[in-house]
Amino acid sequence: MQRQCVTPIDLVSVLNDAPPGEWLALSFKRDRIVAHAPRLVDAQKAAIEAGEAMPIMMKLPPPYTQIL
Amino acid sequence: MKIPYSDLRVRPDAAFPDRRSLDRPIVALLLTRGEKSVIAYATVDSGADNCVFPASIGLALGVDMPNPRSSLFSGSRDEPQVAYYEQIDVTILPMESEQISTDQEPLSFSLYAGFCDTLEHVGMGLLGHAGFFSRFEVRFHAALRYFEIL
Repeated sequence: MQRQCVTPIDLVSVLNDAPPGEWLALSFKRDRIVAHAPRLVDAQKAAIEAGEAMPIMMKLPPPYTQIL
Repeated sequence: MKIPYSDLRVRPDAAFPDRRSLDRPIVALLLTRGEKSVIAYATVDSGADNCVFPASIGLALGVDMPNPRSSLFSGSRDEPQVAYYEQIDVTILPMESEQISTDQEPLSFSLYAGFCDTLEHVGMGLLGHAGFFSRFEVRFHAALRYFEIL
C-alpha cells in the first residue's frame, strides 16, 4: 500500500509580518499572531486578554534557521 | 500520535541558494508547573542529550534561575552554556493537517527540563534523549513529511 504524503504545517505565512526578536503569541489554530512583546509573559497575557485562551508562544526564527 | 512536519522560512545562502523553507519535526507542548502553564513549540532533536527550553519559558512557569540544579552543555561551538533544571509536566498536543486528524489522545508525562538563556533567540525548545527519546519511540517519515510519537 502506498503511503500518503502529509501537508506540512505552514509557519511561513503566519510569520510573514512577525517582528524579529519579540515573543509572539499565535492563535491555537496558528492562523494569526494575536499579540507580541519583548517579554514572553507580556505577549501571553495580551493574547489571553484578547480572547485567545491557549496562545502558542514562539519567536520568529532567525534567518539562519538551520540548526545542528 | 502522528504529527506533520512544520514548514519554516529560511534565507537562501551560498550553500543553499534555492532553499527558502525547511521542514522541521516540531511539536506543540503544554508545559505546566503548578498553576502556571505555557504552550510552546519544541523541535524533536535526536542529537540532543537533554530537553531544554528558552529561559523565558522557565520564567513564565515560575522556575527559579539560577537555581542549584545547573548543568553545562555545548552546541557546535566549544563554549559551555548553562541550563537550570526543574520538574515540569508536559502534554504533547495533536497538530492537525489535511491528512492527520486532531482526534488523537494527547500524550502527557513528567519531565526534568532545562531552561537556558542561549535558546532565547531560537524561541522554542529541544526534545532530546533524557526524558523524551528515553520514554517514547519516535519514527521519522521525512519523505512523507510527518513523524510519529509512540
